[in-house]
Amino acid sequence: MVWFKKGQFFVFLTLIVLVGFSLRMTEFDLSKFQDFENMGDFLAKWFPMNTESLPYLFQESLLTIAIAFLGSLFGLLFALPLSFFAARNTSGHRFIFTITRFFLSFLRSVPEFVFGLILLTTLGLGPFPAVIAIVLHNIGVLGKLISELIEAADKGPMEAMSAVGAQRWIGNLFAILPQIWPNVLSQFFYRFEVAIRTSLILGLIGGGGIGQQLFIHFKTFQYQLVSVDVLLIMLMVIIIDYMGGKIREKVI
Amino acid sequence: MIKFENVSVKYPGAAEPAIKDLNLSFERGEFVCVLGRSGAGKSTFIRCINGLQPVSEGTVKWNEKSLSDMTHKENLEIRRKTGMIFQQFNLIPRMSVVQNILTGLFGYKKSYQNLLGLFSSSERMTAIEAIQQVELTVEPTRRVENLSGGQKQRVAIARALIQNPKVFLGDEPVASLDPGTAERIFSLLKETHSKRNLVSIINVHDVGLAKKFATRIIALREGKLIFDGLPEQFNEEMYAAIYNQ
Repeated sequence: MVWFKKGQFFVFLTLIVLVGFSLRMTEFDLSKFQDFENMGDFLAKWFPMNTESLPYLFQESLLTIAIAFLGSLFGLLFALPLSFFAARNTSGHRFIFTITRFFLSFLRSVPEFVFGLILLTTLGLGPFPAVIAIVLHNIGVLGKLISELIEAADKGPMEAMSAVGAQRWIGNLFAILPQIWPNVLSQFFYRFEVAIRTSLILGLIGGGGIGQQLFIHFKTFQYQLVSVDVLLIMLMVIIIDYMGGKIREKVI
Repeated sequence: MIKFENVSVKYPGAAEPAIKDLNLSFERGEFVCVLGRSGAGKSTFIRCINGLQPVSEGTVKWNEKSLSDMTHKENLEIRRKTGMIFQQFNLIPRMSVVQNILTGLFGYKKSYQNLLGLFSSSERMTAIEAIQQVELTVEPTRRVENLSGGQKQRVAIARALIQNPKVFLGDEPVASLDPGTAERIFSLLKETHSKRNLVSIINVHDVGLAKKFATRIIALREGKLIFDGLPEQFNEEMYAAIYNQ
């Protein structure tokens, strides 16, 4: 890994070609930063912050947290049992493993934004379709991540549970879940944090919460409110990250 | 009680069988030590007894009934009658001593009872008694990952004891312990064996321990049985036959 080998030259060359190609495709040009002043001027319009609407924006932030929390928690509740069917060592049958993995891949491949757009037609505007969109995508993501944790779990306790004559599913559950639980929590809090950002995007299509306010304030040039929105978003992400760390610390 | 009739096990893709044409029988009261180099087939042999390892040829019989002819329910019944301990203890991490011991009852209880941890007070009492029997002097609520190797193996033995087993199997249970602890664990196994009149079959590398505690020694080399006799019959020549290249 560390020492350079002749065989790695080809990999290195491929990487350079890919980087060059991507730079061209994305019109990557650092000289464009010469208009840096524009950004400074724009950001200057954000201040002083308009704190008059803070109570209302705080309430909208709570709505965003609620969307993200339910989206992640329900996602986890559905993903957890599915992940046992999507792991090679616990699925019991190759067919079940393949079908479950395919289903999870499908859910993962559809962005929350697209789920949101589809659900709008049935559920209308508001936070509910946003929650469901996040749940669906999170089932796909968490299901895959947890199934990989299950596959990497120590086989010893599973063997011990087989040896005491436990039912297979009970044995698997007890032998594996305690082993992977801290990592499951890590994944959950990471997905919760991602869901906060996702719910901002879903605000663009009427999902409600601070994301929708941010979108409205931007479109109506109320930059002094935009700065309050951004500050609240940053605070939410930092608090959730901190809480996640603390809870995981306690569990370990 | 347990009979091996022409038992062979070949793993998929392996050139040679792990165990070849074994014919053995074990009766209550026997404390059998299984000797052999690493890869001689000892673990495969032990796992065939409770059906953790299916056989490729031949039959393993319990009270004259073949394991392969038994229903799933009967197979589970055999396993719950068999206490098994492992080299790496195979305890469930992040669970306490007493919780780990109670998992030994999983074979006896309904799934929902296991799931919800519904154990009667007498079952919890039995778990505490098992802790005392194995002379474990740690808090029952302590997590198992915080215990020493010897303490972990005692928890594993207590888990096997709570099964109220008829047969005790050990897959190199003292291989990762220091010599003093290994001897104490073996004493404990022998004492439990005698009190409950079990069939005990234990894989071990230490010939000294086998000669001191076993009532019968069997030895495997490249999957074949090369010795089956009393500890006093096990001599230097036999030692060389097992371990020399």
